[in-house]
Amino acid sequence: MKEISSNKKRMQINKIIIHLLLILGAIITIIPFVWMILTSFKTLGESTIIPPTIFPKQMQWENYKEAMRTLPYGKFYFNTIVYTMLTTIGQIVFCSMAGYAFARIDFKGKNFIFVLILSVLMVPGQIFLIPQFMIMKKLGLLNSITALVLPGLFSAYGTFLMRQFYMGIPKELEEAARLDGCNHFTIFWKIMTPLVKPGIAALAITACLYCWNSLMWPLIVNTSIDKMTLSAGLSTLSGQHGTNFPVAMAGTVLAVWPMIVLFAIFQKHFVEGMASTGSKS
Amino acid sequence: MKIKRSLSILLVVMMLITVVAGCSKNDAGNSTDGKVTLTFGLWDKYQEPIMRELADMYEAKNENIKIDIQLTPYGQYWTKLETAATGEVLPDIFWINGPNIVKYAANDMLVPLDELVESNNIDLSVYPEGLIDLYTVEGKLYGIPKDWDLTALWYNKKLFDEKGVEYPNENWTWDDMVEAARKLTDKEKGIYGIASRPDTQEGIYDTIPQAGGYIISEDRKTSGYDTKEALEGTKIWIDLLEEGLSPTLEEQADTNAIELFKGEKVAMVYAASWNVPVFMENEIIKDHIDLTVMPLIKERAATIHGLSNAIAANSKHKDEAWDFVKFLGSKEANEVWAKSGAVIPAHKEVLDIWESSYPDINLKAFVDELDYAVMYPVSMNTSKWNDVETEYIKQMWNRGITVEEGLKKIAELMNEALTKEQ
Amino acid sequence: MKANTDIKNNQNNKALKASGKRKLNDLFWGYLLILPTVLGLAVFYIAAFFQNLYYSFTNLGAFGKYKWVGMENYINVFSDPKVPQALINTVKFTVISVPISIIISLFIATLLNSKIKGLSLYRTLYFLPAVTMPAAIAMMWKWLYNGQYGLLNQLLAKVGIEGQAWIADPKFAMGALIVVGIWSSLGMKIIYFLAGLQGIPKAYYEAATIDGAGPIRQFFSITLPSLTPTIFFVMITSLIGALQMFDLIFLMISKTSLAVDSTMSIVYLFYKYAFEFQEKGYASAISIVLFMIILVITAIQLKLQKKWVNY
Repeated sequence: MKEISSNKKRMQINKIIIHLLLILGAIITIIPFVWMILTSFKTLGESTIIPPTIFPKQMQWENYKEAMRTLPYGKFYFNTIVYTMLTTIGQIVFCSMAGYAFARIDFKGKNFIFVLILSVLMVPGQIFLIPQFMIMKKLGLLNSITALVLPGLFSAYGTFLMRQFYMGIPKELEEAARLDGCNHFTIFWKIMTPLVKPGIAALAITACLYCWNSLMWPLIVNTSIDKMTLSAGLSTLSGQHGTNFPVAMAGTVLAVWPMIVLFAIFQKHFVEGMASTGSKS
Repeated sequence: MKIKRSLSILLVVMMLITVVAGCSKNDAGNSTDGKVTLTFGLWDKYQEPIMRELADMYEAKNENIKIDIQLTPYGQYWTKLETAATGEVLPDIFWINGPNIVKYAANDMLVPLDELVESNNIDLSVYPEGLIDLYTVEGKLYGIPKDWDLTALWYNKKLFDEKGVEYPNENWTWDDMVEAARKLTDKEKGIYGIASRPDTQEGIYDTIPQAGGYIISEDRKTSGYDTKEALEGTKIWIDLLEEGLSPTLEEQADTNAIELFKGEKVAMVYAASWNVPVFMENEIIKDHIDLTVMPLIKERAATIHGLSNAIAANSKHKDEAWDFVKFLGSKEANEVWAKSGAVIPAHKEVLDIWESSYPDINLKAFVDELDYAVMYPVSMNTSKWNDVETEYIKQMWNRGITVEEGLKKIAELMNEALTKEQ
Repeated sequence: MKANTDIKNNQNNKALKASGKRKLNDLFWGYLLILPTVLGLAVFYIAAFFQNLYYSFTNLGAFGKYKWVGMENYINVFSDPKVPQALINTVKFTVISVPISIIISLFIATLLNSKIKGLSLYRTLYFLPAVTMPAAIAMMWKWLYNGQYGLLNQLLAKVGIEGQAWIADPKFAMGALIVVGIWSSLGMKIIYFLAGLQGIPKAYYEAATIDGAGPIRQFFSITLPSLTPTIFFVMITSLIGALQMFDLIFLMISKTSLAVDSTMSIVYLFYKYAFEFQEKGYASAISIVLFMIILVITAIQLKLQKKWVNY
């Protein structure tokens, strides 16, 4: 009895330590965000005074109105959602297929092709801009969502990520399935893929972020502001001779929150069923 | 379970097909209703509404024309333009600036306008001469000026009053300014008399010509940095630093001179005309600042820069594009710019309207400087030697090297870059 | 269906023939599954990659005009004093930021994988930097670092430490960038590790607990080894990412800053030559040199992985 209670106590202390560590880390992580939000409520003058005020003297909702007024956020959200959804679905499908093949099937030329794919990651992304633009032009796709989405459907990064997750699955499973007469597609689709769901979730987040952050490509293939994605549209807030920081920050807050809400909802989903794996002590 | 999965796959495939099929037909250009769509590229979010207003005015008069404005932020504008140029899909009309004009014109990316100007009897003398020169490459004009900017001496009246110093006026010499700066500098309060800016257009591009020198020779083949005049025009700024009348380079690093002026940490600053709205919308300083022409060194000079509207050589509607550019260059269109106060319109006859956009300050100073404006220095690959300038200006201002050494180095590397251009 | 019967036949046939058929079958499925990715990447990326290689032997300038110049660009790369400087900066950034960020994110991910209250809140908070655009991150940190107005110096002043112009001073700029680099990459790394942690069968821990292993021993004997495929992925991709660092300097260090030289990275140099100076041929050569460096490092990693990665 005594041993159990002391054990419980120890666990209690452990938990408190974990909480303290996590809280400390979280504070450091979110300081810049808090600062961004506070600045977004200041006037331009107040945002540059010395020493800075921590809390805005008066909440400048104006900045948000200004940011909303100058940019068509509704369209940006729509475009970004379409862009993100298509890219994410495409990457999940293609990358898991290729990732599985690279991880679990032995075929000639595999290693060479895999290194070739990895080499895409090893050069600065800017070299792809002009060639991709020329392809889109030849296909007559300029200024279309297709052009926006197409190059992002294929991802060397995602293929590598999925390969690693398929690699992690024990061999015995595959052998058992083979003995049962399953072909590769069945093994891939029915047996392996359900096991790498966490990997797929991570890939989905990566793909979302890729869409969220890409700036140059949306600006280059699209000519009208109505077809811009969020970060590309937001970038128009910065001028040639300086930027109105509070308004830009307000714009950023407006752009970022859906992503945060989405994550807050989905993180529960994608970490479900794992809550106890780590600490069954 | 299985059905659900197949359904979702089907859905995805359908979505992909719809998007691929549906969106690829969105090609801009010739619309079906016989209208001509002209695309117009620019980079300034705050000027876009005014441009739209002008486009609406034009569309109202020309019913067969539709103008499609394409905004790209400055940071990405040139990369995008270059990509578009490589793919021969430049906007029909677009903004171009000094550093890029030679590159685009000499590579046959733009339509030369001389014949059109002549046959349409356009009077180019209404535009500042320095700007027409700037947009003339190898004897041909490639852009109709849209606006211009010059640098002036701005001052904070409150700080002058506190120290009982007389405000700057148009007769000031450089020495008068230095004298005032001495009185205005207050180390205890952390206030400096003037900011010595490690800048080109708002710094040595003005003072070097004022000392009688030049930045680049007229044939765009040699650098003027190794001249006695260039040395004088640069050294006077460093002297300000050495005497402690200006914030150091380090102090200007995080918070530049414009910010320091807005924060009332410097009493005087050389600032270009694009700062007018920046200053006048700042609640702290807007009621007690003013400006005047830059003080005299040896002669009067001011480096003028401005944007032009240029027509793409790949445009499928050159005639229509020219007609719109002509409209944008007209007095009528310039009046709209003047009233907006956003930029100084290129057309001389509307300058009085612009001057009254902020009646409390002496905007006329900029107009006065027009009389002795000199062309902004550019060449084929301007950014290559601009980078050299930035590099060594930084070192001179940090006083890691002497002005003599710094300028010699700039001249050497700039000449090297200019030779490569030939 | 055909493949199904193939496999069934295999079992009955002679071993040799079976393995031959299996090989053929593997070949078929392998190529079929990688086809879309390989095709897409070939068209949009790999072709451009080889084009870039070709351009590195030309004097490609603005608007796609070029002449063949042979090895000239490569000779210039090795005589350009900016290249070794940029290389040193890049290596400095990589060597410091990659291990630190991996260790921190692994640590946090393990904590976030425990059974405590408020997990979803924590996860969301730690995820925040990952969803922020690089431009916004740069803006925030520039504020924090600002020598005159910055919050960091304000806080330091409270404890009596004199502040610095962190990103303007060549002495501190690289360190300041490394901090931002680590900070902004944690979110995504934590997500990968969290995903990897879930693949570890619970049974391993149950067995270890019965054997009396404490949480720390469990971490080193179960968690860490089982997580090696994920660690390997994170390591390779963050090495590649760090060696290509660009956004941060581009957004945070102003061109007139004294700290430009001490923070200039290889990709920044590439960008400058390609898009500012219109010397795309030379820029291509720089990118190929960088590619070679990354390729060698990755190849070594791929070889070494057999020693420590458990598949």
